[in-house]
Amino acid sequence: MSPEDHRSIELFLYLEARLLDQRRYRDWLDLLADDLQYWVPIRSTRFGNKSHAITGGKVELQGAEITRRDELAYMDDTKVTLRMRVERLETGTAWAEEPPSRTTHLITNIEVEPATNTGEFQVFSNFLMFRSRLETEEDVVVGNREDLLRRHGDGWLIARRKVVLTHNVLSAKNLSTFL
Amino acid sequence: MNGEIDLDNGSVSRRIFFDPDIYREELTRIFGRCWLFLAHESQLANPGDFITTYMGEVPIIVTRSKSGVLGAFFNSCRHRGMRICRADAGNANTFMCSYHGWVYRNDGRLQAVPRHPDGYPEKMKLGEWDLVPVGKIANYKGLVFGTWDPTAPSLVDYLGDMAHYLDIILDRREGGTEFVGGTQKWTIQCNWKFVSDNHVGDSYHTPVTHHSGMVAGFYSRPSERLSTPGYSVAAGNGHGLCLFRKPLRTDLPLMKAYVEDHQAEAEARLGQPRASVWPVNGAVFPNFGFVVAGAFRTFRIWHPKGPDKVEMWSWCIVDSAADPAFKEFIRLETLRGQSGPASTFEQDDGENFKECHSCSRVPLPEDPRFNYMLRLRTAREEVDFPGRMNDMPSETNQLGFYERWAALMECVPQGQTRGISHES
Repeated sequence: MSPEDHRSIELFLYLEARLLDQRRYRDWLDLLADDLQYWVPIRSTRFGNKSHAITGGKVELQGAEITRRDELAYMDDTKVTLRMRVERLETGTAWAEEPPSRTTHLITNIEVEPATNTGEFQVFSNFLMFRSRLETEEDVVVGNREDLLRRHGDGWLIARRKVVLTHNVLSAKNLSTFL
Repeated sequence: MNGEIDLDNGSVSRRIFFDPDIYREELTRIFGRCWLFLAHESQLANPGDFITTYMGEVPIIVTRSKSGVLGAFFNSCRHRGMRICRADAGNANTFMCSYHGWVYRNDGRLQAVPRHPDGYPEKMKLGEWDLVPVGKIANYKGLVFGTWDPTAPSLVDYLGDMAHYLDIILDRREGGTEFVGGTQKWTIQCNWKFVSDNHVGDSYHTPVTHHSGMVAGFYSRPSERLSTPGYSVAAGNGHGLCLFRKPLRTDLPLMKAYVEDHQAEAEARLGQPRASVWPVNGAVFPNFGFVVAGAFRTFRIWHPKGPDKVEMWSWCIVDSAADPAFKEFIRLETLRGQSGPASTFEQDDGENFKECHSCSRVPLPEDPRFNYMLRLRTAREEVDFPGRMNDMPSETNQLGFYERWAALMECVPQGQTRGISHES
C-alpha cells in the first residue's frame, strides 16, 4: 500500500473524529458503508491459560475475554440502526444528550494493512473519548478499534468497526456518543 | 427512624437515599438477610464453571462442583482475606489464593495450606477453615438466589406471589430460559433504591423519559404504548411488576409469529389468565429486576457500592426452546433498545437516576419529600391475579417496595398498605 493511502486514511479518521465532536451526525453517517457492521463487544476478566491460580479447569470453558459475535455486546449496529440512533438524538427528547455532552475523540496508533478485497484496508487505531457533561461530570472511555475501510471515490467508507474497550466495568453512567 | 415512609399519603423522605448511616444499616438489615440474585443456572452449565458476583457489597464466588452441585461462597481467603478468585468467570476445580497459596476446592473446602501440617499447631484442622458459605442457596426455575440468613423463609415463600408472575417469563415454554452469554457492567452515581423504584413499578416515566427511543423506532410508538391497557401489581414482600393486557411489538414479523406460534403452549403451561398478560418491568426485592416489554428481554441486578453509587449488571434472557433466529432477534432488539449503557432506553435512565440522586444527596432544613400519589388508594383485588392490582401506571408497587424496606429497617411507616380496605 502507498504512503499516500496511509496518510489519506489517517486524515479520514481525524475527519470522522471531528464530525463526532462537532455533533455533525448526519455528515458522520455519510462516512459509513451501507453494509456496515458496528460492534462494541463486552470485555471481562479471565484467568490466563497458564494461570497457577486455578487447577483442573478446561481451557475451552474459560470463556473469552471478549464476548463472541452471538453474545451480548454494548453495541451491535448496522447503518440502519445507527441512523435510528442519530434520529433519536434529533428528537429534542434524547435526555442523555439533551442538553448535549461535550466530547473530544483522540485517535492514535493508526496502522493500515491491505485487506482481502482490492480497495479495502484493515485499519487499527486507538482512541480516547473524553466526555464532559452538564457541570462537572467527566468520563473517559478508551479502547482499540479494528476497522475495515473501503475506497470510495477520492475518499473512504467504514465497512466494519470493532471497538475493543480497555474497560471491564464501565465507570460511565451511559455511552451516549459514538466511538 | 420514624415517618420516612408515608404509605397513607404517598410520600417518602429524601433522607433514605443519601444518609450514610441508613446505608450502613441497609447492608446488614436488607442485604445481610434477603434472598439476593446470584446467577442464572445457564451461566454455570458445566461442572467446574464459576462466576464471581456480589451480595450487597460482599464479593461472592458461585460454582458448580465436579458432582454438579451449585455453591456460593464469600470470595475471600480465610487467612488474610485476599480475594481468592479474581476472574469474572471461567472453569476450575480448585482456586489458589495468590497471597500465601491456600488452595480451596470449588465446593468451598480448604484442600491445602503451605507449611501444613509441619509448621502449624495440631489444632489447626483444614476442615475448620473452608470458604465461608452463603447461608442458603436455592434455584427458582433457573434463577439462583442466596441469602446469608440460614433461618430465612424458603425462596418460594420469599418470592410469594411474585413467583406466580415470574413464571410468565421463566416458564412460558418447555425447557425454560437461558441467559445469552456476556454481562454488561456499568456504573451509575445514584443510590440503589432509585433503580429499584424504577424497576418495581415505574411505567409512568416511559412516555417521557423514553420518548426519543420510541419515536426513533426502538420500541412501540408513544401512541400505541399509551393506549395499551395494563396493570401494576404489588406482589407483596416488596416485589412488584407491571403487565400489559396485550403483547407489544407485534408489528415486528418475528415477534408476531413467535407470540402466535407459542400461545397455545403458554396457555397450557400457565393457564389462560397468565398467558393473556405480558410483563413489562418488575423487581424482586431488593435489587434484582427485569424489563421484558415488547421484544426486550433483560434481567439485571444493581449492586450497591456505597450510598451514592450502583454497579449495573445486565443480561439478555431467551426461551431455551426458541430457534436461533429468534434468539438473535431478541439479542439485537434488547441490546439496541433496552439493555446496557449504550442502549437507547438505558442511556436516558442513567441520566435520570444520577440527576435525581445528585439533587437529593444533601439534607435541607425542611425535607422536600418525594410524591408517590399516582393512583393512591385505588388498588384492588382481581380474580385470577394475586397481589394488589392497580391500573397502569400507578405508584402502588413503589409504596409496596418502601413498605417492605421500612419493615426490614424497623422504620415505623405512616399507615400501611397490606389491607386492600386501607387502600380503597
